[in-house]
Amino acid sequence: MKRLSLIWLLLPAALLLAAFIVMPTFDLIRASIFDPEFTLKHFQRLVERGVYVDVMWRTVRVSLIVAVICTIVGYPVAMFINLQPKKRQVALLFLILIPMWMSVLIRTFAWIVVLGREGLINDLMIGLGLADGPVQMLYTSGTVITAMVQIMLPIQIITCYSAMTEIDLDLMRAARVLGARRWQALTRVYLPLSYDGTLTGLVIVFMMSMGFFITPALLGGRQDMMIANLIEFQVQHLNWSFAAAIGIVLLVLTVAMILLLRWTGRFAFRRLLNVGR
Amino acid sequence: MRVMQTSRMLAVYFWAMVVYLIFPIIIVLPVSFSDSELLRFPPTAFSMRWYQSYFNDPVWVDATLISFRVAVVSMVISTTAGTLAALAINAVPKHLAGPLTYGATLPIVIPHIFIALGVFILAIRTGLTDNELMLALAHAAVAMPFVVLITSAAIRQIDPTIARAARVLGAGPLRAFRVATLPPLIPAIAAAAIFAFFVSFDELIIAQFLMKGSETLPMRIWADLRLDFNPTVAAVSTLLIVVTTLAMGVAETLRRRAARTLAP
Repeated sequence: MKRLSLIWLLLPAALLLAAFIVMPTFDLIRASIFDPEFTLKHFQRLVERGVYVDVMWRTVRVSLIVAVICTIVGYPVAMFINLQPKKRQVALLFLILIPMWMSVLIRTFAWIVVLGREGLINDLMIGLGLADGPVQMLYTSGTVITAMVQIMLPIQIITCYSAMTEIDLDLMRAARVLGARRWQALTRVYLPLSYDGTLTGLVIVFMMSMGFFITPALLGGRQDMMIANLIEFQVQHLNWSFAAAIGIVLLVLTVAMILLLRWTGRFAFRRLLNVGR
Repeated sequence: MRVMQTSRMLAVYFWAMVVYLIFPIIIVLPVSFSDSELLRFPPTAFSMRWYQSYFNDPVWVDATLISFRVAVVSMVISTTAGTLAALAINAVPKHLAGPLTYGATLPIVIPHIFIALGVFILAIRTGLTDNELMLALAHAAVAMPFVVLITSAAIRQIDPTIARAARVLGAGPLRAFRVATLPPLIPAIAAAAIFAFFVSFDELIIAQFLMKGSETLPMRIWADLRLDFNPTVAAVSTLLIVVTTLAMGVAETLRRRAARTLAP
């Protein structure tokens, strides 16, 4: 009886996921390999054309760059919050959470306002005599990465921070009392204890970056097209089967990279501990 | 209690990063009050014309209404399904709770473009393209993991003896749930509902694939940004920035209150 009622509780969620996540995934797999007979031509086309291979590598590369920058830039931010008095932590977290929940579309638009021809930065540079005319900043790879890091950074900070709250700060005090310098206490105690959460943050940011669509489309040029943009392009041209094949590749590539990142991360961690000894 | 002194340099760094995160968003506000056709900063003269052009244009108003309707339906569905699932997950034996949580939060790890593509093919097969309920359901599937995570965190902190006491005192299972389990969960559920609302309200790609005849607000903004940058988008963005900030402030406060009152 009890088990039965639990199944009822799970039913709406299960139906929702089955209908809109699981079944469509199988549909996509089928659409990518049956057209209408079994064929691998869509995948072949994907790996044979240089343009498509370029887009795939770029997506992995940009996502990796964004994830690494977010990790390096975000770690000290999370650490700063975690070392504040409890009441203050809540207030500071708000400053990170508000942009995190802001629409990506609006945050990307904000960068257009800042970096556009008539935008703030150009206005400042011309005003200060640093530039003669408007500098082209939109539609460049640097801008895409700057904006993507800004959009993903809160997620990295929050993930890192939640891992850091588990650290017993008395351990830091103990290290200091036992003669460790502040830097040593940081690298030998704090860093190893927050390593797992930091790695999780890196993986999450990487994963979400892989599916980025809005920012490369609005802030980047043709040379910044990512997999999601390629999928949309193919859908607009009614090449659904090919779009499905790209979608499958995106998912497989993401999962493979996540496993690789976790494995490399663990390996690097062991090396890090050995070096400390 | 300050355990480790943080250096002044770290503080400066922290605030620099806060500026990086928030400053571009704040810049949008003054631009929306500009009287210029261009996205010029700083604006030359004050005007409300872009707000008028938003509120007087039926295309913008309709897009907002569609997004609102879809988001409300999606919020109700994802909050209900997610909360029920969270209750079940916290009632099953430990070794089942892990895999169930993993399954229920699965959509988080799947790129939206992938879900959009799948739902699009599903809609074509069933002839349900351009259907608001279909879009709301797809959004609900995407938002549900957040609901499960937020309400699960609250449920774990509830004292199960209260519900047991209600049962012992003669309440049926539903009544025990209503009087003992549910009330302390309300803040967390409300917070989850607010987050779920905005997951749908802000979502672009699934809507873009699914809707052809009618437009949601993100689709309208997207179309405008692709054609030309005009300050109507800045006015809409300003409204959304204000509304999102207020709503998220409420949601976060509710979530913290839930965590505080439930903590033993």
